[in-house]
Amino acid sequence: MFLNPWSLALSLCSLIVLVLGAVAGRTAVRVLRFWEPGSDSNRQIRLENAIWLSSTLIAYGLGFQIITLILFVLAADEFCQVIVGAMCATGALLANPYGMPALLIKLVGVFFYGFWILLHQLDIRSEQYPLVRLKYLTLLLLLPLLLLDVSLQTLYIAGIKPDIITSCCAVVFGESNGGGSNLLSGYSQQGLLLAFAGSIVSLAALGLGLGLSRRWRPWLAGLYAAGWLWFFGLSLVVITTVISSYVYAMPYHKCPFCLLKPEYYYFGFALYGTLIPATFFGVSAAFAGLVRGRPGLAGVVARYQRLAVRLSLILLGIFSGLSFYHYLKYLVSGGEG
Amino acid sequence: MLIELSGVSKIYNQGRANEVRALSDIDLGVEQGSMVCLKGPSGSGKSTLLAIIGCIFPPTSGRAAIAERQLARLPDRFLTLHRRETIGFIFQRFNILPELTVLENITLPLLPLGVPPKERRQRAQELLARFAISHRARFPAGQISGGELQRVAIARALINNQPIILADEPTAHLDTALSREFMEIMQQLKEAGKTIVIASHDPLVFEHPAIDRTVTIQDGRIHVP
Repeated sequence: MFLNPWSLALSLCSLIVLVLGAVAGRTAVRVLRFWEPGSDSNRQIRLENAIWLSSTLIAYGLGFQIITLILFVLAADEFCQVIVGAMCATGALLANPYGMPALLIKLVGVFFYGFWILLHQLDIRSEQYPLVRLKYLTLLLLLPLLLLDVSLQTLYIAGIKPDIITSCCAVVFGESNGGGSNLLSGYSQQGLLLAFAGSIVSLAALGLGLGLSRRWRPWLAGLYAAGWLWFFGLSLVVITTVISSYVYAMPYHKCPFCLLKPEYYYFGFALYGTLIPATFFGVSAAFAGLVRGRPGLAGVVARYQRLAVRLSLILLGIFSGLSFYHYLKYLVSGGEG
Repeated sequence: MLIELSGVSKIYNQGRANEVRALSDIDLGVEQGSMVCLKGPSGSGKSTLLAIIGCIFPPTSGRAAIAERQLARLPDRFLTLHRRETIGFIFQRFNILPELTVLENITLPLLPLGVPPKERRQRAQELLARFAISHRARFPAGQISGGELQRVAIARALINNQPIILADEPTAHLDTALSREFMEIMQQLKEAGKTIVIASHDPLVFEHPAIDRTVTIQDGRIHVP
């Protein structure tokens, strides 16, 4: 299915990112072998010039790769129109064994690519190149993930055949499926909602505690980051099993992907578009603390941490409002309208 | 030493067929408040050396430090900021924008620093008065004389009160009277505590009594007679 605008856009994006990754990978090896911040040698000065270009290019490349998550979901949504049995991206992603792994790797990649971009942004805010080695070491570790991401995406696109019969979201996430293949069917909605609301309140309290206290407490930041990781997973389950059916106004329609469709006013983009950045900022506040002691970074990191906590709290508020909107509307008005 | 160069080399197009070695193993120190002239024929490497001191580009190897900081090797976002605060440039052809007024030309370096308009004007007026060109403040720079243009260029180099002034062949396009006037202004600036490095092969410059030291550059090396 390569001759499709979405496939072409995705493949082209990934190809560019891979080329940029290869260029930056070469610089990374040179940095790890030869980087000597105190030296006035020709090699060191050339490396200092080279890292500027490499870092900038790969930062943009990873940024593009983050955007491919959106492209990938939109592409899957488009593919469902030609795959027998598929009604939304769920069916399209299950049309071959590479769809769901590709999506999951892209989702994990968003955070790791984001963390690298954050490292880069912190590094260039100090006069002393404090994170160059760390930045390029992590880049080398990220390259296999990038390669896996692009490979799974390519295998998925290559493996899509219109004549394959696949499942739809009603079968995959619906309660009618008693065969044990629906991992989410066993949860009680009330229990999930309680855990969801409790997690929001706890995260807000932790965030406010972290943001309002004069001294930065690393253990509290760690707890806040762990809380966000838990909340991210829980939110995906709650969106699928509870929130989505209120959005669709159909108790048996449970799907995390149909939310992205125009008939539901692209509501899913608002939900995921607040949840993913909120989680990133929540986790990265603690992550940035790991490099706070590097030369020239104390003030920069401290400012970022405060900003990240503030942004995560704002996004948490918006996400909570969006999540409960249809549910509360249902409770107040008794259904549609 | 305010400016300290050790083992500085500069190779253009390194590793290519058109490789040019502009500077080789330069050691140079300039004390605060002194005036040094870099003398040498065209193509000797004076302008390259001045560009390295002025952090326009880094050396290929070696150390070029201003007040013990290697400014030219700072990350780009800091380099621009520090260069703006530390170094004032006077170019060979003055590089004045003819469409802008004299006042606008002088205040130009303050724009990216976010200095409020009132303060910009105030600082420029002081310099215009100091160099006796207040009456030309509203004139387009393209309509003033060569001598006035030279004073505008100096005023622009001083607007941010930078401690170092670098001038590249400043008298190359001036007559004898204007060249003398230029050196008189440089002498006044030196007496006011500025550190000045001038690249020139004009005897009026390197033989001027205000010059503390003349460094001869030949084929990219410091020539010791």
